[in-house]
Amino acid sequence: MIADVREALQEVLGPISEPVLLAGGASKEAWAVDAEGVRLLVRRAAVGVIHRHTLSLRHEFEVLGAACDAGVKAPRPIAYIEDLDGREAFVMERLEGETIGRRVVRMPLPERLPVQMAEELAKIHALAPERLPFLEEASIERLVDELDEVGEPHPAIELGLWWLREHRPPRRDPVVVHGDFRVGNLVVDESGLVGVLDWEFAHLDDPARDLSFGLVRAWRFGVPEKRLGGIGDVEPYLERYNELTGFDVRPEELDYWELAGNVAWAIGCLTQAQRHLSGQDRSVELAVLGRLGAEVEYEICHLLERQGVT
Amino acid sequence: MSERPTAEELAEAIEEFLAGEVLPTLDDHRSRFRMLVALNALGIVRRELARLPAEDDAELRELAARIRAGGVAPGTLERVRAGVAARLRIASPHYLESYRAGE
Repeated sequence: MIADVREALQEVLGPISEPVLLAGGASKEAWAVDAEGVRLLVRRAAVGVIHRHTLSLRHEFEVLGAACDAGVKAPRPIAYIEDLDGREAFVMERLEGETIGRRVVRMPLPERLPVQMAEELAKIHALAPERLPFLEEASIERLVDELDEVGEPHPAIELGLWWLREHRPPRRDPVVVHGDFRVGNLVVDESGLVGVLDWEFAHLDDPARDLSFGLVRAWRFGVPEKRLGGIGDVEPYLERYNELTGFDVRPEELDYWELAGNVAWAIGCLTQAQRHLSGQDRSVELAVLGRLGAEVEYEICHLLERQGVT
Repeated sequence: MSERPTAEELAEAIEEFLAGEVLPTLDDHRSRFRMLVALNALGIVRRELARLPAEDDAELRELAARIRAGGVAPGTLERVRAGVAARLRIASPHYLESYRAGE
C-alpha cells in the first residue's frame, strides 16, 4: 500500500522519499514525505469514515489557503488530490515543533505564548466568510441532537445544557472560527507558536466560543491550574484578543463558553465511543472514551457549582 | 442498560486489539503462547460478565428527562454529582482523587 501511495504522490509532487504513516487521528491518515528536501505532510481520508459536521478535505484545504493568505501561522497548503490511491487527500507543509498536548505543557515555553495564541485567533476571526461560502453556522441546539442520537441518560450533561439555555449571553455576529483551537492542535517550540493545525471543524460561530474552547479542563493535559490549555493564564490572552478585535469579550462570556466547551466534549466522548460500538471504527481508544467522559461531566458539575447552581 | 461501553464490551474491545494488533507482532514463541493464554482468560472474563443482569437505568432516565424539561429543584446538582463521582470511582479513580486534592 505504501508503494501505491508513493507512486500516486510522485505523479503530483515528483520524486519523494518513502512515505511514513504517522500516528494520530482516526478519521484521517497523515503521511510524512520529503520532496527535494521540502518537508511535507499528506492528509488522506481514512477508510469508510463518515464524520458529520466536519469539513471535507477539499474544503479544509481551502480554509488553510485562506488562513495562510491572511497571515495566520498555519501549514501552507500545496496540492489537493481528489484521488490518491482511491481516496481524497491534500498535501501541505510539515511544520517543525511539538504538538502532543502532554509534552507541550511540560516543555519550556515563552511567557508570550498566550498572547501569540490570541494574535492568531484574532486573524482567524477576521477571515472573510465570502471566500469560504461552504462554512456552516453552528448552534448549541446541535449538541442536544447529538446527545439524543447517543440515547444514553446523562443528567450532568442535561444540567449543563439547561444552564446554557437559561444564561445565554447576548448573541454576537458569527465569524469564521477554527472550531478546535486548543493545545494539542498547535505546533509550538521554545520560541512559541509555530502554527495552527487541524482545521476540519472550521465553521461560522460566536467568536467568544472559539476563544474559550482552549480553556476546557481536558485540554490542560494534567496542569489544571493553568486555565489556558495548561500553559498559561487567561487574562493576557483575553486582553490581547480584545485589543486586536475590538470585540470586548467579557470574562463572564469565557465562563459561559468554557462550560459549553465541556458539554460539547462530554457529548463528543459519547459519540466517539459510538463509532466503536456501532462497528464503524473499532478501537480501544474510542471505546474507553465512552467511560472517560465522566471526567468531563465531573468538571461540568464543578463549573455549575461555581455559577451558584445547587 | 448499564453504562456504555459495558464491562463486557470493553473486554471485547481489548480482545480484538490484542488478537488483531499485538499478537501478530510477537515473534517470540513464549510471548505468543502467553498472549494466547491471556486472550483465553480475557474471553472467560467477557463471558462471565455477559451473564450479569443489565443495570436498571430507569431512575437515571427519569432524572435526565426531568432536567431536560427544566425541572431543576435545589439539590439536583449534588445528586447528579454523586452519580458522576460513583462512575468515576470505576472509570478513573485517579482523576477523582487529583481533582479533589486540587480543590
